[in-house]
Amino acid sequence: MIYAVAVFAPLFGSLVSGLLGRAIGDRAAEAVSILCMLVAAVLGPLACFQLVSGEADAGSVYLANWIEAGRFHVTWQLRYDTLSAAMVAMVTFVSMLIHVYSIGYMAHDAYPHYRFFSYLSLFTFSMLMLVTADNLLQLFFGWEGVGLCSYLLIGYWYDRPSANAAAIKAFIVNRIGDLAFAVGVALVFFKFGSIEFSTIFPAIPQHQADTYSVLGGTFPAFEVIGVLLFIGAMGKSAQIGLHVWLPDAMEGPTPVSALIHAATMVTAGVFLVARMSPLYEFAPFALGMVTFIGATTALFAATIGCAQNDIKRVIAYSTCSQLGYMFTAAGVGAFQVSIFHLMTHAFFKALLFLSAGSVIHAMSDEQDMRKMGGLGRMIPWTCTVMWIGSLALSGIPPFAGYYSKDAIIAASFASGTGIGMYGFVCTVLAAFLTAFYSWRLLIMTFHGKPRADHHVLEHVHESPWVMIGPLLVLALGALIAGKLLDPWFIGEDWQAFWNGSIFNAPNNHVLAALESVPPWAELAPLVMGLAGIALAYLMYMVFPLLPMRLATQFRGIYLFLLNKWYFDELYDAIFVRPAIRLARTLWQTGDATLIDGVPNGLAELTVDGSRQAVKIQTGSLAVYAFVMLIGVVLLVGIFLVSR
Amino acid sequence: MNWVLALPEIVLSLVAMVILIFGVLRQDDSFFLSSMFALGGFLLAALLVLTTGSGIGYHGQFVADAFSSLVKILILAGAGLSLILSLDYNRHNHIARFEFPVLMLLSVTGMMVMASASNLMTLYLGLELQSLGLYVLAAFARDDLRSSEAGLKYFVLSALASGLLLYGVSLVYGFSGTMDFAALARTLTIPQSASPGLIVGIVFVLVGLAFKISAVPFHMWTPDVYEGAPTPVTAFFSTAPKVAAFALLLRTMATPFGHQLIAWQTLIIIVSVASMILGALAAIGQSNIKRLMAYSSIGHMGYALIGLAVGTPEGVRGVLIYLIVYVFMSAGTFACIIAMQRRGRPLELITDLNGLSATDPALALAMAIFMFSMAGVPPLAGFFGKLYVFLAAVQGGLWTLAVIGVLTSVVGSYYYLRIVKLMYFDAPEEPFDPRPTALSFVAGATGLFTAFFFVFPAPFVGAAQAAAKVLFG
Amino acid sequence: MATEVGLGHYLVVSAILLVLAIFGIFLNRKNVIIILMSIELMLLAVNLNLVAFSAALGDLVGQVFAMFVLTVAAAEAAIGLAIVVIYFRNRGSIQVEDVNLMKG
Repeated sequence: MIYAVAVFAPLFGSLVSGLLGRAIGDRAAEAVSILCMLVAAVLGPLACFQLVSGEADAGSVYLANWIEAGRFHVTWQLRYDTLSAAMVAMVTFVSMLIHVYSIGYMAHDAYPHYRFFSYLSLFTFSMLMLVTADNLLQLFFGWEGVGLCSYLLIGYWYDRPSANAAAIKAFIVNRIGDLAFAVGVALVFFKFGSIEFSTIFPAIPQHQADTYSVLGGTFPAFEVIGVLLFIGAMGKSAQIGLHVWLPDAMEGPTPVSALIHAATMVTAGVFLVARMSPLYEFAPFALGMVTFIGATTALFAATIGCAQNDIKRVIAYSTCSQLGYMFTAAGVGAFQVSIFHLMTHAFFKALLFLSAGSVIHAMSDEQDMRKMGGLGRMIPWTCTVMWIGSLALSGIPPFAGYYSKDAIIAASFASGTGIGMYGFVCTVLAAFLTAFYSWRLLIMTFHGKPRADHHVLEHVHESPWVMIGPLLVLALGALIAGKLLDPWFIGEDWQAFWNGSIFNAPNNHVLAALESVPPWAELAPLVMGLAGIALAYLMYMVFPLLPMRLATQFRGIYLFLLNKWYFDELYDAIFVRPAIRLARTLWQTGDATLIDGVPNGLAELTVDGSRQAVKIQTGSLAVYAFVMLIGVVLLVGIFLVSR
Repeated sequence: MNWVLALPEIVLSLVAMVILIFGVLRQDDSFFLSSMFALGGFLLAALLVLTTGSGIGYHGQFVADAFSSLVKILILAGAGLSLILSLDYNRHNHIARFEFPVLMLLSVTGMMVMASASNLMTLYLGLELQSLGLYVLAAFARDDLRSSEAGLKYFVLSALASGLLLYGVSLVYGFSGTMDFAALARTLTIPQSASPGLIVGIVFVLVGLAFKISAVPFHMWTPDVYEGAPTPVTAFFSTAPKVAAFALLLRTMATPFGHQLIAWQTLIIIVSVASMILGALAAIGQSNIKRLMAYSSIGHMGYALIGLAVGTPEGVRGVLIYLIVYVFMSAGTFACIIAMQRRGRPLELITDLNGLSATDPALALAMAIFMFSMAGVPPLAGFFGKLYVFLAAVQGGLWTLAVIGVLTSVVGSYYYLRIVKLMYFDAPEEPFDPRPTALSFVAGATGLFTAFFFVFPAPFVGAAQAAAKVLFG
Repeated sequence: MATEVGLGHYLVVSAILLVLAIFGIFLNRKNVIIILMSIELMLLAVNLNLVAFSAALGDLVGQVFAMFVLTVAAAEAAIGLAIVVIYFRNRGSIQVEDVNLMKG
């Protein structure tokens, strides 16, 4: 019951503030949605705690029937197991903090605020529907809901062309992934005759040997389904190839970025892979692909992060990279580790984004780090929490990231497979780059000499408490979440904790092998992290001119990184421009002449028919009665003849 | 106990009598109070319909089953919504008299008897009770020429139709020796054994019922009556009587004449195709929105008839789902139409909606939802109505009907979307008068139903399925 | 030799009455009252049918129904006349040809 309330409270808040916002005013709409989020943020973790402590039994909360069509039964049902409950706890809690923060952040925004809060709450609700789904269709509902809300929020400032373009880009790139996802869901239905998890999962061993024959080749069924679902996850979680929307999504207000990157949206892909773990455990190739893509993204995004100058973009690429970590872990069978990193990441990424928002707020909406510097003394709170966030992100003990990130790197080493080793190498290198760009960001923003002009500097001020408060809570989380959750999520109690909600194949001993990783592999990420910090310190603090010289010296590499490996340009050349050309040709020859011609002719015919049809309606009673009589005679005649 | 089965009808007629006495005794204005009583009566009746069990009473003349319950609930919903719509309209147009709810109550009683009829005699009496109320309602604005003309036209043509139906009843009675539905079904087991007299009788009955649902070619009264009658009455006309008459058509065609399917199927197909085509074509040139709704309802009845033509439980299920959706969609649309008022004067031209999205975005949104739903755009409710009948047609092998249905709904969507276009893309005019709360309530509730039907279709589909199963024993 | 009057004769008479009534409705261009009379005629034709069948079948139901039809016919005539009266008050005429304000 409290579980259902936790899930639906955000929806209620969204509806009230969205539908009645204009009537009750901004203040009241904000209050209602925040109140609803508070309720959710109390009840969500409570429901999780009850489950873990054994006070409540795992199961599902039945809501209503949804679709009954022949063999196809779908119900609205909330799944209540450790995986879902943990996600609900995290989503509601982080989202609540972001809601509170938004009061301060959006205070000076010109638009009415109720729309923003309504979207935020709806976003949260969609994500909750996604993580509590008991069948693939409900998951798809949440999946699309998240996509829709991200579109609405990224394009929130709808009078900015760049915001609209970013919103459309996010929507379309996600749609490409969704297509594969939808096909995957359909295949699941054809294979199992159901899309309810409770029916699919027990039936998986029976279908292990099934294959599809496509294009002359024969592929194992689970591999195909696994790969299709993963392509969906790639779109949502911004993995290499489908990552292009994420950095542009910065066009939305900063709390939205925090919500997208930390609690909702991008983690959906990781969650999906963990949720479908019973299937993925029987699809080794698909899992290999997950690790490969994940590890590649982790390294690739980290390289880009090193050359960006926009404070939010750096953090955005960092998210991309961290999601790669999570997939790397999932791909080697350590789903628990990936969810663990998802949780800790939610804390420090929300923290980083919100404090970046605080910086931007202080700098009068300036986002370029080259125009910052030396802010540490002027906004000490923000500076402190950002340090904590960066320490956690770089995996320095005892901060949260250390536990989860090291576990990922250790797991990829412990898997012992070739692809696992690839993951290990990529993630260790990425750990170095992560530390480097984090400190580059810190130093460029908070230390050294102020580079902003004095107009901006005069206005630099610490954010109001309604913004600092959530930051402090998140900072606390980034500080202790790793230590606190470690024993449950991946430590000795993991089997009791997960209680079967994530499936590990009998021959999958990754979690046990975590303990037996050689010391050098265990220490590698920490050493690399410290080295990254040291390098950043040298380059940006000790020899501030060095980066400039390097950039001119290795101009090619620098531009390559600055332009994000030219992915946008590549897509533009391969897909966008040919599509536009094709569309133009079709429009000119096909549409204007053929397609317009035929319907215009048909339309004239229809209008003519309409005129004829109305002619008989003369208004005269006699005619009306006569038409009825003709009808009777006609029907009797037909009846007698056709009998 | 016989009277337990008919308790909803008995309660409704008692409420009507009480209001009549109350209204006559009270000299001053008692319209609002009577309407509230009538609404209470509707609610009570709906409650009773849901709680009374099923069975056959009055020597097989009256039956209460899952089918009649579903239909009665729909009738009561349609009538209740129309009555709510009349509250402010009648006051503004000086027709706020207590006879209005009384007539509505009596008419609804007739409709509920129709839903429960299992004998040709009950059928006729229910039909007449309904019609007598409707005649007066159509002419209720007695100082308005158009309303009285609507009443006169409806009276003459409807009397002609009931006369034909009655003649058909007498022939069926004479050539089969019984009026009881169950007995008729037993007598008519073999299609070849039916005499020509009986066949003519069945056709005449069909004609009488086709008139009530305004199927082509017995639709001629519809546009004139829709235009002339006061708008809440038009809303009533387009919801409750349609459902009742369709229910009667379903029951008579499925139960007593069910074995004659091969014989009457062709007729229903012809009527259905003609209705769909005329509904789609004739509406295009209209400028009066009430008239447009008349042609639209003709088209909708054509789509619903597809389900009957299939003659299977799936088909009947499709019809019932269509009717459920149609009642709410239609009531909502009329709520929007009644909201079209400037300086106390009701407006009826489609062009009066120009630029509504700028002056009243909520009303424009509601109207747009109804129009999209009527056009059958997924995922709105209207789409599901069409989906289920087309599905039944395809399963029953009536491909042609399904194809014609899809084609005409494409043509039909032109005039629905035209209204949306007028509201959203044309230059705004002077805003309408402030909306009364009752209208907002009806438009909002039905709008939500129409927009979110896809989330919870299962209970409705389940009820329709259960009802359809009853008819086919 | 006088033939006995049988069921067939009654049916033919009633059919003729029905046809007369229908023609009365749509051939008549004069007066709405005539339409009302035609409707009465139609119901009478039906009544004749019902009673004849009832007698032929030896079944009372038809005659009971005839009673109901008579009652309904009375109510219908009353309402019909009332509507004609208000129409006349508004239009000042009850010519059938004048009843064509709404069309199209």
